Amino acid sequence: MTPSAAAATAATAPSRGLQRVIAVLAALASSLLLLFLAVPIGQLIGAGGADGVRQLASDAELRSALSLTAITATAATLLGVLGGTPLAYLLARREFRGRAVLSAVLDLPLLIPHPVAGIALLLLLGRESAVGGTMLAAGLRVVGTPLGIVAAMLFVAAPLFISGAREAFARVDPRFEAVARTLGDPPLRAFLRITLPLSRRGLIASAVVMWARAVSEFGAIVVLTYNPKVASVLSYDRFTSFGLREALPVAAVLAVLALIPLTALRTLKGADDGVTR
Amino acid sequence: MIECRSLSARHGSFQLADVSFAVPTGQYGVVIGPAGSGKTTLLETIAGVVPATSGQLWMHGRDCTVLAPEARGLSLVYQHAFLFPHLSVAANIAYGAASPELAEEVARRFGADLLTGRPVRALSGGERQLVALARAFARRPAVILLDEPFSALDPRRRTIVRREVRALHREWGVTTLQVTHDFTEAGLLGDVAVLLDGGRALQSGAPDEVFRRPASPYIAEFLGAENVLAGTVRVLDEAAPDWLEGDSALIAHGYRAIEFTSGPLVLYTVGDFPAGDGYAVIRAEEIVLSLDPPSGSARNRFRGVVTERDTLGALTRVTVDVAGVPVVASLTTRSAKELSLAVGMEVTASFKAMAVHLC
Repeated sequence: MTPSAAAATAATAPSRGLQRVIAVLAALASSLLLLFLAVPIGQLIGAGGADGVRQLASDAELRSALSLTAITATAATLLGVLGGTPLAYLLARREFRGRAVLSAVLDLPLLIPHPVAGIALLLLLGRESAVGGTMLAAGLRVVGTPLGIVAAMLFVAAPLFISGAREAFARVDPRFEAVARTLGDPPLRAFLRITLPLSRRGLIASAVVMWARAVSEFGAIVVLTYNPKVASVLSYDRFTSFGLREALPVAAVLAVLALIPLTALRTLKGADDGVTR
Repeated sequence: MIECRSLSARHGSFQLADVSFAVPTGQYGVVIGPAGSGKTTLLETIAGVVPATSGQLWMHGRDCTVLAPEARGLSLVYQHAFLFPHLSVAANIAYGAASPELAEEVARRFGADLLTGRPVRALSGGERQLVALARAFARRPAVILLDEPFSALDPRRRTIVRREVRALHREWGVTTLQVTHDFTEAGLLGDVAVLLDGGRALQSGAPDEVFRRPASPYIAEFLGAENVLAGTVRVLDEAAPDWLEGDSALIAHGYRAIEFTSGPLVLYTVGDFPAGDGYAVIRAEEIVLSLDPPSGSARNRFRGVVTERDTLGALTRVTVDVAGVPVVASLTTRSAKELSLAVGMEVTASFKAMAVHLC
């Protein structure tokens, strides 16, 4: 480096001392945020986890709420995957008029307050509505049943799956499919043999995120189906009826239930297949 | 046969427009053009993975314009191979193969059988191209589309694989269309050359014809013709001059003796080009340099001074200043040494009338 270039670099680059101060401040800010996010959950599990596990043996209502949560969240996730996969593929692969509008509509449930989502669903599926009335006439009661819980979970959590699945499909170069098509595969076969395996990891991750979100949903469920209670509603019910002490074990078990699949997912190793040519 | 009739397609913001050319059944077509000219989009449109917006595509006597890719009876090899990473090398080659035996045979011919024990991710770019070629040929297609399929191979392997592709093409009579940046490859392999630029086919025909008789000065320059001169054409109407004697057949076909003036240079050629403005193209390898005026039959002779000499392996490129006009000649390095060519030396540049192409 010439002396003039070195002088110019020295003039524009921050001094070593300033760089160190910036690094320390950045580390401090990140650590504080990390603590803010992790400590409440850790404290919750630490304070109520052991009691929660003990209560599982004796508290039938807790066991019932947890199994109802797991079953309805799984049902909602399956429905989300079933309907969301083609939508996500369409959004990732096809250019069409109204694609931006469709994307915005799909993101809407993520942006509105969840009790509002519950009210919107109530308007659609309540006995007074055309849809709800028809379903009721067919023997399908939504409000106040596990079906209502599934509907609420599906509404608030499916956009997460669709968004993740869309990313997963977009990461698979369409030329893989093009090659498969020229090698004799019709579109569905090319999708099942090539695109699906290459986007598998992203699809599973999106489904797990959707399931965890469904497990932790409260606002929309409480409007549609207070009883039978899922774990989040039970936790709220015990907090308002008996106070923090009674709510703590239920809340801790619910937190663990949501954390287990997410943690398992994060520790899954291996790179995404789709980006490789 | 691959026949594009005013074929147009859109891929993102890129427009392939009004492309027409034909590669007869069993022949080898090459597509050449600068980067971003639409070569890959053209192959993808023929393959059916990019839909045609207008025009027609005919292959082997049937209209394939709207046919699904899997129904077109072709294979496509991309430059980046696009091997399926979740499958083994053997499964990749067998994917869509006409039979397992054929997959094995083709793998052996390309040397891809030696790679079957390795995961796809561990293959180099060149090895991937070998597997992709084997996968495409194992389908035994009627038409094969190759997008720079040898670009990642080392020179020795490239020669071997190119020979193997050519051999399979001949044995099976498979109509082939290959994209290449390599003019030598285009000349070696191609029966038909298509020059593409800006999504349009500028010229198509036998490679030698396209290289020697470019349709425009732009094509001439793109194809590496270093002497492209703008000037005025004058048709010499009088009876065939002495230098056309013996070429009466040309005269009978409407060719006339032509005088082309470009600044201080006056060139003579034959052709059916109309009088007026035009361009003269003389390929560097058609120009002969000598220390004394040659006594041969070359009609065009100019004295000039060597201003530049670049040796590129076996060939030497020499620029001669002829009355202020740079004329570039390409000769073997051995000839350049024999002539002891050096900058500042006076030489004669000569070329035959037939070496001048007007466009």
